[in-house]
Amino acid sequence: MSERSTRREFIDRSCRILGFVAIGGAAGLLTRRATGNAVFQVDPFKCTACDLCRTSCVLSHSAVKAVNDFDKCGYCMLCPAYYDVTSRPDEKGIPAGKVCPQDALKRRVVGKVDEDDPNNNYYEYIIDETRCDGCGKCVKACKPPAGNGSLRLEIRYSQCLECNECAIMIACPDLAIARVPTPGMPPTKSP
Amino acid sequence: MMEPKEKETTQISLLDRFRKSWFPAAAVVGAFGAFVAAAFRVRPIPKPTVQPAQAAGARKPSQPAVKSAPPAGGLDREYVQSMVLGGAASAHPFGRSLSGIAIGAGDRIYALGDDEVTIFEPGGNPVRNWKVIEKAECLAVGTDGRVYVGASGRVEIYDAEGTRAGGFVAGENNRPAAITAIKVFGKEILVADAAARFIRRYDGNGRQLGTIGTKSKAGKFILPNKSLDFDMDSKGVVRATDTGRHQVTAWAMDGSPLGSFGKFGMNNPEDFVGCCNPVNLALTPDGKVVTGEKMVARVKVYEPGGKLLAVIGPEHFDPNCIHIHLAVDSKGRILAADPVRREIRIFSLAVKVGVNEPFGGPRPLIDWKFEELKRA
Repeated sequence: MSERSTRREFIDRSCRILGFVAIGGAAGLLTRRATGNAVFQVDPFKCTACDLCRTSCVLSHSAVKAVNDFDKCGYCMLCPAYYDVTSRPDEKGIPAGKVCPQDALKRRVVGKVDEDDPNNNYYEYIIDETRCDGCGKCVKACKPPAGNGSLRLEIRYSQCLECNECAIMIACPDLAIARVPTPGMPPTKSP
Repeated sequence: MMEPKEKETTQISLLDRFRKSWFPAAAVVGAFGAFVAAAFRVRPIPKPTVQPAQAAGARKPSQPAVKSAPPAGGLDREYVQSMVLGGAASAHPFGRSLSGIAIGAGDRIYALGDDEVTIFEPGGNPVRNWKVIEKAECLAVGTDGRVYVGASGRVEIYDAEGTRAGGFVAGENNRPAAITAIKVFGKEILVADAAARFIRRYDGNGRQLGTIGTKSKAGKFILPNKSLDFDMDSKGVVRATDTGRHQVTAWAMDGSPLGSFGKFGMNNPEDFVGCCNPVNLALTPDGKVVTGEKMVARVKVYEPGGKLLAVIGPEHFDPNCIHIHLAVDSKGRILAADPVRREIRIFSLAVKVGVNEPFGGPRPLIDWKFEELKRA
């Protein structure tokens, strides 16, 4: 009788210990996930710059911003993301309209400057994030074959509220918002 | 004897009572719920504060509308498609890539794709193929049948049978050339270096003889799309794409500039669209300039002075082309390689009676090109 009782106790204790270990492990994993290193981010290969990032974010000024990958950028004089190339050209033959409705895409001449002929210059394009609302018009205009595809949308961690379920992710028709580990994110060069 | 039994019975009943009670299960469930709540940091989703009418998410085509049709009254030349090589349904498709074409002796067509050079007869029958250096981007054929293949920082030379016959490094040691075009002129090999943004002249041993494109005001070509293409006529006049300026430029072999034509414009078919065009270039035997454009994938033919002669419209090419590799054979047929569809389209000149004098003088009403078309 006493032998049987000991075995029962042993099995009982073992099951309890295993159960607690399993629960503890799961809790540890979830805690690690919560504390850390996963954030919502836009997959540039899936993103079609549909404008829902601007309208779906819970913030009044969306946490999604356009960023320019300078390694890919062509530094064009007639950047299709800067100028609305379909707009009426001015007397110099340069399109009068701009793509960005917020005028958030700024540019400056880099390298050797030719003041007589702007076609001889290279231009660096920078996004003013205080103005950018993540509408993605520039991203769409820069996509190949029109441009080099250097512009893309990114969620700014400093502004993102880390909602339990990202409202943009729910709205995104292209499933382009994903949770990704923070350390693996490439650095961005926007100011 | 009775005492220990009673003791044991008491112990078992306490343990069972504890085990069967609701408290441990509730404690475990509660702890797990607390962990989950902490892990996901559950909080209510605030409603979006901005809901403008534009939130419909309607997707617009990314390419703007561009007039590609010729002006009323038509242009001086008209090309008709006479053959397609290497399409997906053909007997000799290009599986992964098609990155260059050239014309050799006897109007044989040399195509670079799938890390191979494939030679076709002018009628489209394949002759032979051989493996070349990986990631090759362009090729040229010499009058002796040698094939010059350009990869990153290196020119590989093959004899007419495909055996490697040499090669040399292009560019500087710390900055290899990004070779986007090669041409052979006599004993010289000209290499377009999109990284340095000029054309390098080499002798057969790989010794640099000079540069073309450095004697302009800007000092180099403006290449936002990191691609430089050129061709040269029998007199040694080099014509090159200057994509950032939307121009076709002409240069002497010593590097001195001879002139240019072209400007940006979206509405006149004579102009070049987008950020950086034309991306590809070839010359016809009678000196006309053939250009390939991206954004609106089309091929155009110009007089050397810049007058537009013909447009081969975007209906022939994939709209996502960022290159249309070009070559022209001795009969004036334009070969345009579409790297997205991985096919070579061949366009022959259709003669307009009384208007067209394509090769230096009036031609008979029944032209060889029509005969060729009938055969095709």
